[in-house]
Amino acid sequence: MIEPTPPVATSSNATPLGKRFRQGRDRLATALITAGGIGVILAVLAIGVFLAIEVVPLFMSSAEVPFQDLSPLIWGTLKAACFALLFAVPVALGAAMHSSVFMSRRLRSRIKPTLELMEALPGVVIGFVAGLVLAPYVERHLAGALSLLVVMPVCVLLAGALWSWLPPRMRRLLPLGWAGLWLVPWLALWVGVALFLSPWIETQLFNGDLRGWLDSRFGLDYSARNALIVGLAMGFAVIPGIYALAEDALSGVPGHLGEGAEALGATRWQTLWKVVLPAAGPGLFSAVMIGAGRAVGETMIVLMVSGNTALMSLSPLEGMRSLAASIAIELPEAAPGEIHYRLLFLAALLLFIFTFLVNTLAEVVRERLRGRYRRLGGGS
Amino acid sequence: MKGLTAPRWFAGRARLPRGEGPWPWLVAGSVALSLLMLLALVLLLAVRGLGHFWPSPVALVSLEDGSQLAGVKVREERRFDGAGSEWLLRTANRDLEGGIWQWVAVDAIESVSHPQDLVVMSRTRWGDFIGRLVALEDASGNQQEQAAWNAFEARLAEIQALRDERDRLRGDVVLPLVRRLERGLDSEARERLAAANARIRGLQRQMIGETLILESADGQRLAQPIEQVLRAWRPNAMSLPDKLGAWSRGVWRFLSEGPRAANTGGGVWPAIFGTVLMVLLMSVLVTPFGVLAGIYLNEVAHQGRLTRVVRIAVRNLAGVPSIVYGVFGLGVFVHGIGGTLDTWFFSDQLPSPTFGTGGLLWASLTLALLTLPVVIVATEEGLARVPEHQREGALALGATRLEMLARVVLPMTVPAMLTGVILAVARAAGEVAPLMLVGVAKLAPQVPVDGDFPFLHLDRKFMHLGYHIFDVAFHGGDVQAAMPLVYATALLLVLVILVLNLTAIFLRHHLKMRHVALPRH
Repeated sequence: MIEPTPPVATSSNATPLGKRFRQGRDRLATALITAGGIGVILAVLAIGVFLAIEVVPLFMSSAEVPFQDLSPLIWGTLKAACFALLFAVPVALGAAMHSSVFMSRRLRSRIKPTLELMEALPGVVIGFVAGLVLAPYVERHLAGALSLLVVMPVCVLLAGALWSWLPPRMRRLLPLGWAGLWLVPWLALWVGVALFLSPWIETQLFNGDLRGWLDSRFGLDYSARNALIVGLAMGFAVIPGIYALAEDALSGVPGHLGEGAEALGATRWQTLWKVVLPAAGPGLFSAVMIGAGRAVGETMIVLMVSGNTALMSLSPLEGMRSLAASIAIELPEAAPGEIHYRLLFLAALLLFIFTFLVNTLAEVVRERLRGRYRRLGGGS
Repeated sequence: MKGLTAPRWFAGRARLPRGEGPWPWLVAGSVALSLLMLLALVLLLAVRGLGHFWPSPVALVSLEDGSQLAGVKVREERRFDGAGSEWLLRTANRDLEGGIWQWVAVDAIESVSHPQDLVVMSRTRWGDFIGRLVALEDASGNQQEQAAWNAFEARLAEIQALRDERDRLRGDVVLPLVRRLERGLDSEARERLAAANARIRGLQRQMIGETLILESADGQRLAQPIEQVLRAWRPNAMSLPDKLGAWSRGVWRFLSEGPRAANTGGGVWPAIFGTVLMVLLMSVLVTPFGVLAGIYLNEVAHQGRLTRVVRIAVRNLAGVPSIVYGVFGLGVFVHGIGGTLDTWFFSDQLPSPTFGTGGLLWASLTLALLTLPVVIVATEEGLARVPEHQREGALALGATRLEMLARVVLPMTVPAMLTGVILAVARAAGEVAPLMLVGVAKLAPQVPVDGDFPFLHLDRKFMHLGYHIFDVAFHGGDVQAAMPLVYATALLLVLVILVLNLTAIFLRHHLKMRHVALPRH
């Protein structure tokens, strides 16, 4: 605890000279802080301006500029981000709903920092594990990996069904509030079972060769570094960010709204779905937007997992090359000032503009939401 | 009621009699899934990363066709054609076999044993050797069996001592003398250099002498000069304490040595050093500027529409991809400022650039810019948390604004600033993409700090843990052989970042506790 320290009233302070000295010092410090602060902020904001200036000669030059080279990269960037969000958004929003409504307070105060730590995992580590461990594994066990998409929700629902048939005493031992924790071994068990049984299923349904079957049936070519793995790895990287913002939005909804609904006989899920979610909707939207911004700009994961072939295909089983990965690969070799170099700067500018716009949108929406909560809270 | 139809329908059909239908379980499942993935990743890194240093047992595999091979079983995998499974063995002996991996079909294996006399040797050439020690030959004769092993172990310790002495001489005596000679003629230095070189040659001569007769599992013999052997151990004969000792020595070597064999072996000391130094420089750069900007935004600037816009913009810059900062650093720092510095001060060395290429300084500056928003936002949040009446009280007692800030407000926000800096450091330690553009190197055996003026070489390229992972895993020749090392490096990086983040969380918690006691107006 810090007490406000009164300025020491020494004799020198009492004289006009001392007073003038102190005031002068104050003015000087204020000027310094102002100059430094404005300088730093301008330097930070100069990034966009600098990139734009570097790019301008591209549009002024008379030479043919291969702008169309960028289109597969933009496609790849958006494809990677889409697959990442397809995986991350349901998981992150689901986790946020669970932890804001159902989870016990004590567990919640532990889970939130844990997921924050998950956000701090460096992309290069996630990329390494996904690219060199997961991708070869999935290549060998494609059927098992795909079966998890079905097995996971089914086994969770099974857990719910089994739980509701348990005697009340057992149910109290495994409360829904702690389900986030005790479902982990249950999930792990079923993942193991699914992976163990998948060769047998593959033999039964697809003649033991799912990849051949996919190829002949749908014309899907399988490459080891593909959008599925990118989506999973990058989804893993953006889940914590989306979760944290969505959780804040959901738990920021004024309590009396939900209490009113529950008093009228709604279950917790009904309250969440009909009352809390609509109120927090903009917050969830901005959380997803910020997640999208991160997914678009993530470099190392895409670089290490996507295979970096500039394809324009929709297939989840093929790779892509993203803007960020192209910059990381090609820029160190490009000579300053030439067209290729400036084209890569254009790619960086595109990334900058996109993420800046998306983040600004999210921030404005969040600002509005905060005002709304204040009004709702104040109206009671 | 559109949103509710699905759960109700489902609940009716599936006869979930009590509770709230299936949806709460699905959302609970997504928490569990996130935790499961995190757990799986951390466990994988920990087990593989730490397991690399464990002296794993060497199996002697006898095949049905009568041949034998010795190796460390790495994993078992189902064959692509579905006919049984295979073992992947690391059989080493690149000089005899041409490769170090062998796949063995499980069906073809007749028996597996772990004889105690199998030796694993780490050598300076050709990588590891796995097999048996037949004899130790020196000038006086040759020794066999256990006597050979005992004599070999003793001699190996001697050679290691000689090697340490030689490296010490090279680093502490020869290198400074060579630098002195580079600066000008110096007869005394020349004499001392000659003496040191003679001494090194003497040490080198003492190392050679014996030859090991080795035999691989399939009976090929090999004469191995003893000075090329770095370490030797018999994993099957080691007891648990022995193995623990070997494990901890392995961990220590990993942390303290430089890389060998094109980064696929040895340790990561230069990468640790580079990462830490770069991050330290970055935090020295980012802290004053970030704090200054935060104070300006929250305390000095007129709180109007413009300040709000600037605040949102700064916050958004935290979401701009790191590679964009890398591009900015390359364009402005390396080619812009660095190029200009070169033409002004280092024109005698052009066209080879001094500062006009990626280096430690530019990397730190780029990362400082990248993490500025984090520090600014944290400082601002800390300042906003200080109750207004504290400021008013100070001003009412006659303090000027500077005194109010310096003696009342800033001391209360120190933990918040510290949290910001630590979060910035944690973020910077894990960033690799911008570094690839502004100064990281595959291999920079000379760390950027040494005894040579000006001691800290800001223009040098440096190694980085994160880039080391990327480089070894994706540009190395034999990825399979380098994998354990990559796991260990990844684990180390994650641990460093984890510790930093935990510190930040702890500080923030401490900060919250402290402000709970303060009444808000």
